[in-house]
Amino acid sequence: MASHTSKAFPILGRINQAGFGLQTSVSRATYATGVFIKTTKADEGFQGRKFTAAKKFRRDPGVYRTEKMPLDQDWTAVYPTAAPFNPNAVPLPVRMGYPVKGGAPPDRKGNLELIKIPNFLHLTPAAIKKHCEALKPFCTEWPSALDTDAKCDQFFPVKVESTDYVAAGPSVRNPAARRVHLSVNVSSLNLDDHARKKMLKLVGERYCKETNVLTITTDSCPLRQQNKDYALYLLTVLYHESWKTEAWEAEKTRADMEEYSWEGSQSQRTLLHLLGLREGEGKEVQEQLLERSEVQAYKDSVTRLKNEGDGESAILQYKDAVKSVLGL
Amino acid sequence: MTEPRAVRARSGHGTCNTTGFRPPFSASYNPFCFHAATATPSSVTVTDEPDVLIQRLSLLVKGHSRAVLDSYEFFATTAAKELGVAVSNVSEPKKDVARLTLLKSVHIFKKHRVQYEMRTYYRRIQLSRLTGSTAQAYLEYVQRNLPEGVAMEVQKTTMEKVPDHILEPMRDDLGAGR
Repeated sequence: MASHTSKAFPILGRINQAGFGLQTSVSRATYATGVFIKTTKADEGFQGRKFTAAKKFRRDPGVYRTEKMPLDQDWTAVYPTAAPFNPNAVPLPVRMGYPVKGGAPPDRKGNLELIKIPNFLHLTPAAIKKHCEALKPFCTEWPSALDTDAKCDQFFPVKVESTDYVAAGPSVRNPAARRVHLSVNVSSLNLDDHARKKMLKLVGERYCKETNVLTITTDSCPLRQQNKDYALYLLTVLYHESWKTEAWEAEKTRADMEEYSWEGSQSQRTLLHLLGLREGEGKEVQEQLLERSEVQAYKDSVTRLKNEGDGESAILQYKDAVKSVLGL
Repeated sequence: MTEPRAVRARSGHGTCNTTGFRPPFSASYNPFCFHAATATPSSVTVTDEPDVLIQRLSLLVKGHSRAVLDSYEFFATTAAKELGVAVSNVSEPKKDVARLTLLKSVHIFKKHRVQYEMRTYYRRIQLSRLTGSTAQAYLEYVQRNLPEGVAMEVQKTTMEKVPDHILEPMRDDLGAGR
């Protein structure tokens, strides 16, 4: 019969050495602390030595902390910051991973899958509330008068847009972050007719006809602040240049005109010729002819067709005007 | 109508620490609680410098896992609500999948290949009408809590008045130019 000497520590388990071949079970004392167990030589066989050597510094895993957690505990104290999943500390019955055949996915104890994925245990609604309470002193109120987009556009027509990039990598910098887009509604600028047309000619593609918005994109400078200043500078230059009238602007031909105007056009000459105006006759006769209401209606319909394009109502208007002019 | 202005709130120390949140020191050992129980509140200085007005703040979050983005969206929208920021739209743009086909074997066996793919899921959270101070506080909070493997793009549209020097044309420039 195996005998053993042991210190007076609480015995927490019994080990059966059935595999060794002994018919009787040998009980060994296991300890909560890694205390050296004194055993007699008779106890140690080949397996016994290995067994006791392995058992020497082994601790009992103990009870999971989750068993001792009260239901009304402060969870923000358990997970105050981002931390990997700890099955010892999370009392939820989560399971993750590929299920065992005919069974369930592995539970949280010793589950690597749960540790691999990012968790939001530190960002529960209670924690978010606490954090936001602390952040509130740094926030300011939005002016209550600017509650609609229309009002914002009316008082603050210039929009400056830029993008920030947040990503993990060898560097936090992103060269695309220097790009700045400056948009302004052209009708909010103080421009007269000539200045408006000149500005739209100067900017070309940067103007969108549907929304009436001019967008200047700058990325030639290395810093965002520099690009923003450059964009504002470009806007200033465009504005002042469009108000100037250069000498060569007098050479503007009909082909350069942005809109169709009926005065002096081939359509006017043709109509006057039709109405019987001969080459030699003076201006008064011409003006008399032009003042007629049918001629005015014809002028409006042609101008509408040319500027706005074809449409059912435009073509019908043209038809009526032609009929009235020709007296049909 | 007088022009609306907002004054700027700034932290005295320049950093935004989470003040007021003091985890109670429980009797059981907590391996995650590293900072001390006492946290001194940082002073907030209010300056007269006019606050930047942001008409729209668009957060585009990118990640490989939809579940992580779902949780992050909940966190970001809850934080916005708590801070009084209007969330105008939350949408999920279409995912991008980058696929590549490689040979399975080191040598020959051209008919046997293996395919890999990398998926990027997106989530767009649009906030509207917030001041520069609020945006700074919110963005720092939300970016510090970005999970691993998630990237973010922030499109900020600030609104400004027409600059003073282009309110009126210059007088000597009316008429014939150079």
